[in-house]
Amino acid sequence: MNKIGNLFSKHIRNIHFTSVVILILALLFAGTYINSYINQVVSVVFYSPFSIVKNSYLELRKVNEDNERLSQALINATLKISVYEEAERENQRLRSILGFEPKPIYSLLPAEIVSISGSYIPISAIINRGINDSIAVDMPVINEQGLIGRISSVSSDAAVVQLLTDPSNRVAARITDSREMGIVKYNSRSGMSLDNLPIQATISVGDEIISSGLGGVYPSGLKVGTVNQVVKEELEPFYTVHLDPAVNFYSLEEIFILRESIQE
Amino acid sequence: MTKYIPYLLYFWLIAMHQVFLSDVTSIFGVKINLPLLIVALVAVYKEEIEILWFGFFVGLIGFQGANDYMIWQVLMVTVIGVVTYHFKERLNLESLFARLILVFSVILVHNIFTLLLELNEGFFNTLFVNALPSAVYTTIFGWIFFLIKNDRLTYKKIKSIF
Repeated sequence: MNKIGNLFSKHIRNIHFTSVVILILALLFAGTYINSYINQVVSVVFYSPFSIVKNSYLELRKVNEDNERLSQALINATLKISVYEEAERENQRLRSILGFEPKPIYSLLPAEIVSISGSYIPISAIINRGINDSIAVDMPVINEQGLIGRISSVSSDAAVVQLLTDPSNRVAARITDSREMGIVKYNSRSGMSLDNLPIQATISVGDEIISSGLGGVYPSGLKVGTVNQVVKEELEPFYTVHLDPAVNFYSLEEIFILRESIQE
Repeated sequence: MTKYIPYLLYFWLIAMHQVFLSDVTSIFGVKINLPLLIVALVAVYKEEIEILWFGFFVGLIGFQGANDYMIWQVLMVTVIGVVTYHFKERLNLESLFARLILVFSVILVHNIFTLLLELNEGFFNTLFVNALPSAVYTTIFGWIFFLIKNDRLTYKKIKSIF
């Protein structure tokens, strides 16, 4: 036993060197599975504590930046709202002088998309709000980009939103600047278009298209899209107007339902 | 067992450097090669067996993200550590300058090796723009370490300057 101990201590240096060489050779010829496992172990033991701290710091910095940006946006929005409120009061006053019906006001109810259906492009979505949240059929649905669609059916805790990309959905719309009207619809081949716009109308690429409020479903002023191509065909009484949708229907997340309440 | 605790701390220091400090301390894309600096310093102050295993583990930990090259880095760092130890044994490293030359050479050799492993073209350009400045930059930290270790740079002295 003592002999073995002596032999061991005599060749301790060689044993260490041989061990390291064997380990390196083993790693060299080991498959990617072993190497990736070692990578994982090293990552978890040595890197992950610092990665967590770094990611948290970066997250905090991003939140701080977002906070500053949103604070600035809030100030701007508050200023705009005060201007709009003044304009609204003036509008109400003038409408009452003229004897017009009071315009409905809307409240926003946030909702989340539960699922989306459609083969090539989303055409309908199920949301997590229903009759229990006072949701009813034909309520308009929007997000921060513009008009998304309308509620087509509703159950106690969920509702189906018919998106503007559904070919059977139509929106009475108008051009923001020239105020001329048409009907927005979606075709799976040609995309979103503004139909029934007479060739006498004034329209150009880049014009914004908003809902006109004449269809009875969507209130006026909701952004629907932007003109990207205007085609005037011979002997046709209407323009063919192609639109870029205001909303990216492939990345829908949070949406808002417009609930109408009559102004007192 | 407690004698291995500093090595564990070195490993965490290397990991922390790779995660946080590497980008913060880089100047015009030139980074400190901390794993190799620590290997060189351990080789200067410790025994052969210790640097053998330390080099092996620094290769594993310090170059964890190097994917296909990780094993070659392990081999290279281990060899560099042992060779540095033998240089220290055979050369007179009493002077600070000699130690710095050794540290600089070790880091430059490793940087060149890494370049050869990873780079397909523009070798000389990257050598002069990145590898050489990185070796100089890392050696400056080695110099500061030696000054502190030899009590030539102390808190009192720094305080007296200001």
